[in-house]
Amino acid sequence: MTPGGTGADAASAASPGRHSTSDAVSGAHPAVSMRGITKRFAGGVVANDGVDLDVAPGEVHALLGENGAGKSTLSNVLTGLYRQDEGTVSLFGQPVSFTSPKDAIAAGVAMVHQHFRLVTKFTVAENFLLGSGGNFDAKHAAERITALGKEYGLEVDPNANVWELSVGEQQRVEILKALDRRAKVLILDEPTAVLTPQESDALFATMRRMVEDGRSVIFISHKLQEVMKVSDRVTTLRDGKTVGTVVTKETTSAELARLMVGRSVVFNEDDIEDRPEADPDRLVLDVKNLSADGVRPQSSPKNVDLQVHAGEIVAICGVSGNGQRELAASIYGIRKRTSGTVAVDGVQSMAKGPRESTKLGLAFIPEDRLKTGLSASLPIHANLALKGYRFPPMSSGPFLKHKVMRANAEDLVKRYGIKTPSIDTPTRVLSGGNVQKVLLAREIGSKPHVLIASTPTRGLDVGAIETVRSLLMDAARGGTGVLLITEDLDEAMALAHRLVVMFEGRIVGEFLRGDFDIEKIGLLMGGHTDKDGAA
Amino acid sequence: MNETFVIVILVSAIFYGTPLLFAALGEILAERSGVLNLGVEGMMLMGAVVGSVISSRMGGPGWLVLLVATLASMVAGALTALLHAFATITLRVNQTVSGLALTILTGAAGLSSYLANVWELKNPAIHQFARIDVLGLKDLPIVGPLLFHQTLLTYLSWVAVAACSWYLFRTRTGLNLRAVGESPSTADAMGLNVARTRYIHTMVGGAFAGLGGIAFSLSIVPTWVDGMTAGNGWIALALVIFGFWRPVWTMAGAYLFGALSSLSLIMQARGFAIPPEILNSLPYVMTVVVLVAVSAGWSSRKLSAPDALGTAYEREAR
Amino acid sequence: MIRLEPRLTRPKWLSVAVPVGSIIVAAILGALLITLSGNDAGATYGRIGDRAFGSVTAWSDTILAATPLLLTGLAAAAAFKMGLFNIGGQGQFVMGAVAASGAGLLLGDLGGFVAIPAMILAGMLAGAVWAAIPGFFKTRFGTNEVITTLMFNYIAANIASFLIFGSESFWRLLTGSGKVFPQGKPIAEDAVWPAFGGGGFNMPLGFILGCVAAVALWALYRYTRFGFEIGVVSDSPEAARYAGINVPRTGLAIMTLSGALAGLGGASDVGDIRHLLDPKGLGQTGYGYTGIVVAALARWNPIAVIPVSILLGALANAGRSLQGATFPAGLVGTLQGLLLFCAVSGEFLTRYRIRRGARRPAKATAEVIGA
Repeated sequence: MTPGGTGADAASAASPGRHSTSDAVSGAHPAVSMRGITKRFAGGVVANDGVDLDVAPGEVHALLGENGAGKSTLSNVLTGLYRQDEGTVSLFGQPVSFTSPKDAIAAGVAMVHQHFRLVTKFTVAENFLLGSGGNFDAKHAAERITALGKEYGLEVDPNANVWELSVGEQQRVEILKALDRRAKVLILDEPTAVLTPQESDALFATMRRMVEDGRSVIFISHKLQEVMKVSDRVTTLRDGKTVGTVVTKETTSAELARLMVGRSVVFNEDDIEDRPEADPDRLVLDVKNLSADGVRPQSSPKNVDLQVHAGEIVAICGVSGNGQRELAASIYGIRKRTSGTVAVDGVQSMAKGPRESTKLGLAFIPEDRLKTGLSASLPIHANLALKGYRFPPMSSGPFLKHKVMRANAEDLVKRYGIKTPSIDTPTRVLSGGNVQKVLLAREIGSKPHVLIASTPTRGLDVGAIETVRSLLMDAARGGTGVLLITEDLDEAMALAHRLVVMFEGRIVGEFLRGDFDIEKIGLLMGGHTDKDGAA
Repeated sequence: MNETFVIVILVSAIFYGTPLLFAALGEILAERSGVLNLGVEGMMLMGAVVGSVISSRMGGPGWLVLLVATLASMVAGALTALLHAFATITLRVNQTVSGLALTILTGAAGLSSYLANVWELKNPAIHQFARIDVLGLKDLPIVGPLLFHQTLLTYLSWVAVAACSWYLFRTRTGLNLRAVGESPSTADAMGLNVARTRYIHTMVGGAFAGLGGIAFSLSIVPTWVDGMTAGNGWIALALVIFGFWRPVWTMAGAYLFGALSSLSLIMQARGFAIPPEILNSLPYVMTVVVLVAVSAGWSSRKLSAPDALGTAYEREAR
Repeated sequence: MIRLEPRLTRPKWLSVAVPVGSIIVAAILGALLITLSGNDAGATYGRIGDRAFGSVTAWSDTILAATPLLLTGLAAAAAFKMGLFNIGGQGQFVMGAVAASGAGLLLGDLGGFVAIPAMILAGMLAGAVWAAIPGFFKTRFGTNEVITTLMFNYIAANIASFLIFGSESFWRLLTGSGKVFPQGKPIAEDAVWPAFGGGGFNMPLGFILGCVAAVALWALYRYTRFGFEIGVVSDSPEAARYAGINVPRTGLAIMTLSGALAGLGGASDVGDIRHLLDPKGLGQTGYGYTGIVVAALARWNPIAVIPVSILLGALANAGRSLQGATFPAGLVGTLQGLLLFCAVSGEFLTRYRIRRGARRPAKATAEVIGA
């Protein structure tokens, strides 16, 4: 695939009715032109719904959106990993049709993923040689690395072992690999997620240098500040659709936040009857100054203060990767705390682990249902007993009472309407919604003081989502304090009494029911703080 | 001078270390691709028995018989390894269990003995790999017996060490191999065929094991004895770890282990009585120490086993 | 194009069909081999069957041969079920024999009621310790237990060899023929383990203990909290962790238990069969490794280990007594190997389904899509 040169724009005619600002910006062919991209997956999920994207040569084009907005899918189509169901892709005016990532690479499209494609035991130079053709010459590779590194501000020692490099340096290697393969279009997927602020600035300088040569960079991000800083234009996706393409200089963070977060569901207060009432006098979860070590600084909780009352639903909002999971895990005792205290219904937790947490009345629904929450191959009755098997009546001394376990399982299946052929069915056979019900039944069934639910509706169909939400409400009605970690703002606003925003490990804002300001919430989720200018 | 204790030890170290070296080299290649092959002992025996029968039955000039025997032993080892490869790569059988099954199947009480019996291998092999006198230099001080008075198989093993070393660290294919063993998903993403790489290197490993087998049956102990490799296959597995998956270090280790096994006999002959069991245990104890040290993180990451060793690879659903 | 697709459920009938099928396939392959080498497969199998089951004495011999396999089989089943590849059954067996023979020699004069329980305990303890060391390395440092347990086999063999061939230790017979050929000292009559039965049929104590152990293991899995935890850990260590189960401790406990069972096998070898420490014999018979075959065929189920060990004991018994010019050595090992190989290869049928046709389009849920 050879990229075409500049020429008449007849071949890249925009579909009727769609106004694209890109035609106004450049008279030449856009480097990338994606029109009407639709991609469906099994289960009725439409990840991309008629998405348009135009990227001009020599520009940094940001692709903005929340989790689930469709950014990854779109870039996977562009890099040949997925085939779109509808729509066309053109590079430099020529329509292209990729059957595999190799085609895309040959056409000059390269992507730097969040999970690097590096062999950690090799040196940088060896990783370079791995995918490239030509002679096997480590010295030559080292020279290329040094030269490219100098030119683009991506200095890295070619003879260093990859596992010794910092994450930021490893990312540089990935970018260098793409440059070495003469990529004309470079896609960076959330690159600053793994970088310090200084490294991010260095990356931005690199990006500008790359586009100076006529390359195009697609910058996938959810961070408004950075998008405003480095991009020329921004395309925002929401729920699989393009909601707007603007020129960065002509817009504000606030406008982007609104586009990104928007309102897709008409939110009606009256939809929910009999909202549970929080008991302001009973504090069931008191977290003070909690810090923990995540894989990266951005996902490490820092000095978090959090309170949940009986019957209250507190939602933690934020884009995934900002420390929510680590916070939940460290409250529950699976992850070590480096500072701070946790008290459940007045009783201090000694950070002894899950057993202690269960005893204190702390329940946890992890985001990875079938791997950490449940044992996938075990029968349902076993999973339902996983919390209580250690205590009477399910066990007496060292022995298990199967009759009690089975009765417990039958009871929970009935109460929670879990659809299963029998209580002996292996858990992984169930549908996603029913798997979640098993998890909820077990955790809520023990009437805990506090329930931490981490993205409980992720990946479920609409019906299951409703059920899960009503179960959470039921738990709150029963006096349980619910800490709901969610990436879905609508869900948070529908269910919560209080909404808290987390960004890079810190709580950056708190909102009470009745004062849910979407714009402000969106800004905070994107890292924008008041001192950065007018909202 | 050449009868001194040290020289004698070194000479036997090389002699007895040769089968170990072959087996270990083959295992390095297999493990570098991510396949743990516990069937080495059995593959050595299969190579040994096949080589033996050819040497005993085939007519023709000695050099031809030995050549055919060598090739046949390699084929025998490779075919046995093919079973292991098929089971572990295609059928995703656990590598440990498959390797063990093969050792039981082909090992001392198994197929190799059965074939020896059926083929009636009772007499010493007619053609053997004896020590040769290279360029008449075998009487030179020190280097004479060490370098110029070894068997062809030993010389072949030296070539093999150099070739493997060069292959692993100085060729593109070797780099690709190492990538497959460290991170099959990355290798896959780079367009390498993980399964094919593993099949090939497992079979080559088996071929090397077969060579190790005839180092026994046509050199060290020229009459067939059931289970004549006496656990050398297992020692080779330890040797691979001891040599940190590097051919040259493995060679040093092979000769060290070879020295240890003949040391006790030689020492007794000289009047020092160290129980042979203590010396025999040393390789195993040393291997355990090395393994624990590496896994406890007391040595460099670079020296650790290939990251994907022992695991089956399944491409993630797109 | 043939594809392998992971199964969602494991139908119960497969759990029986696969082992039975493996036995049949192995028998066919074995027959093929025998025929190709110029012998009569039917006659050979017939002789095996006769020697194994053809008379009451044959049955006694078979059960006796099955005894060590029963115990090493249980040892392997306990460990492998949890994903712990304890190849060290052989070494744990040997150490059990060392300890038990030592106890027997030491306490034989105090009579059977003292000596025999002492031998049992000594054997189990020695085996347990021998397994716990590599087990500790594994749970503490993550050291691969396959190689460490294997190395420990050789160290154990050397220890036993040292006691008889390398020194004039307590275990060694120093009178009579023992002055010329190094051999182990036999334990006193009182310390020999009893066998039960009548009319020519004898069931050794070791076998009974093995059956008790099998049932106890089965009951452990089914009726105790610990057994429940083992089930969770073997399925999903992560989920076990989240449920508050101490995964490393569970692993170490299982390794120790596995070693104890193998050690009991070693004790039985001294008490029931050889009555002395026989390093060469122990090395030749390789019970530890055969135990893994037994466990694999039994699909790690302790109750199933009993009949499977009898089957393999029958093979071993027949092979031993038929050895000679007309019965090729190595056939027994070959048949055992074929059995194991077919059994583990057939395993994949329970995990995968064979499908024809092109790959179906990517099936991703919203979870996969992510950002």
